[in-house]
Amino acid sequence: MKIKITLSIIIASLSFLSFNLKELSLNYPGYFPAPEYDLKNNPLDSNYIELGRKLFYDPILSADNSTSCASCHSPYNAFAHTDHSLSHGINNETGTRNAPALFNLAWQKQFMWDGAINNLDVQALAPISHPKEMGSSIKEVLYKLNTSPAYNTLFAKIYGENSITGERVLKALSQFQLSLVSANAKYDQVKQGKASFTTEEAIGYNLFLQNCNSCHTEPMFTNYKFANNGLTVDTSLNDFGRWMITKESADSLMFKTPSLRNLRYSYPYMHDGRFSTVQQVVDYYMRDIKKYKNLSPPLNTPIILSPVDKINLIAFLNTLNDEEFIRNTKYQYPK
Amino acid sequence: MKLTIFLTALLHNGILFAQPVTIQLNPVFGKLPLELNKSYAYKNDSIQITVLKFYISGIEFFKDEKPVPVAIKKFHLVDLANKPSLVLKSLDKNKRSFNRIKLSVGVDSLTNVSGAHGNDLDPVNGMYWTWQSGYINLKLEGKTKICPSRNNEFIFHIGGYQYPNNSIQHINLNIIDKKSIVINIDIADLLKRVNLQELYHLMSPGAKAVEMAQQISGIFKTDL
Repeated sequence: MKIKITLSIIIASLSFLSFNLKELSLNYPGYFPAPEYDLKNNPLDSNYIELGRKLFYDPILSADNSTSCASCHSPYNAFAHTDHSLSHGINNETGTRNAPALFNLAWQKQFMWDGAINNLDVQALAPISHPKEMGSSIKEVLYKLNTSPAYNTLFAKIYGENSITGERVLKALSQFQLSLVSANAKYDQVKQGKASFTTEEAIGYNLFLQNCNSCHTEPMFTNYKFANNGLTVDTSLNDFGRWMITKESADSLMFKTPSLRNLRYSYPYMHDGRFSTVQQVVDYYMRDIKKYKNLSPPLNTPIILSPVDKINLIAFLNTLNDEEFIRNTKYQYPK
Repeated sequence: MKLTIFLTALLHNGILFAQPVTIQLNPVFGKLPLELNKSYAYKNDSIQITVLKFYISGIEFFKDEKPVPVAIKKFHLVDLANKPSLVLKSLDKNKRSFNRIKLSVGVDSLTNVSGAHGNDLDPVNGMYWTWQSGYINLKLEGKTKICPSRNNEFIFHIGGYQYPNNSIQHINLNIIDKKSIVINIDIADLLKRVNLQELYHLMSPGAKAVEMAQQISGIFKTDL
């Protein structure tokens, strides 16, 4: 009898313990593919996510403590940078590209408009070190974090004393970014049988499947590949995209295919932010594609849409805006 | 007398005092030990080395082609500015014998694509490119008037993990069956093959980096 009671106490306390374990799984709908990010190497944990969130919003990562990740990746813009075609960093320096929106990053294999970065963990090193973005280095960041009593306490609580390392800073930043899952737009509710498309949206969905889905493939609304989508070269930037990384002529003017989720919040569009409305983008694909040798093959077929088609297509694209994602307080500036 | 011989034999074989296997990485400039910021004679002029850092990885031991298990760090960053890093010790002290060692200079491609790593591979060590993912396998920097560059500097950051520009080098060396292995790395031997008048900046992956990496693999030598 006594043994039984002791056992049940042990079991009860054990289950309480397991209840307290903070390891999390990535939540996403069943129709999403399996994530690309190897979570075994960096298992999600609410402590790490919180640490990553604090770092993401902290300008301590920049040389002059002026610029945080959120400076160019604002939660209200689906973690993109609106109002500026090209993003700017420290000392009012302007870069050469438009900061992309950040969500569903666990499914992405290569990062940056040109795919220069091969893993989410090491992505942050690029903006931290870029002279026009944060102008610092991971070494300097570690020095600053080590001299900050707040970060010392925070790291000590999670990892023990003297535990601030580059690996942990980077993996914490990954954890916060991995937690940014956008999967509750109207499209998702329709997919889950919780809502239905209006007539316009349904027609727009069909137009989308015919004209856009081969590259902006549902349900992520990108195939995570690179393509030359026929844009003329901005001679003030001379940005040749992926060619600048691989030096392969076949990669000339290839840029990452961005997701079409959350377009309402993440304007302007294209790698150099040259279009400020979705309407302009649709018009571009109908009229202005330049026929490069390595033009993305589906774009060789003209996209012909009537004015009504265009309205319907845009009505569908609007069902990809995830208001809950934008408003989620867990993603916003840490209190 | 007999006892002394017996004891000496035991000591020699490491039976009485088991010791870790030690790999001594010994950068030299020709016949001289290499020291940072010291002038050495070079092509009718002089040369100074200011930075020498590289990764050693995937170390394996063999006895007559048979693998001999030795517990040793998987990735080791050698930095001439940090003298203790020139000595690498096995983590175990078992008695073994071997006559060949295999090692790689650099970081393998799988490690290059699998996110952030710690310890010697922590990007804080300055051996990671930030603008494009990938480890720098070796850094060699220095000065010589032969270089027409700013401050007469030459900077070689050798890396790249993607085919066909994978620059990791696999080295195979015969060794004397001893507890302590000395590997000489002759920078003079490398620099006599490089035309520093024309090539003084190499800081991205590519065919030139692979070519230099191959030349680098040839300067790792044991006494055998």
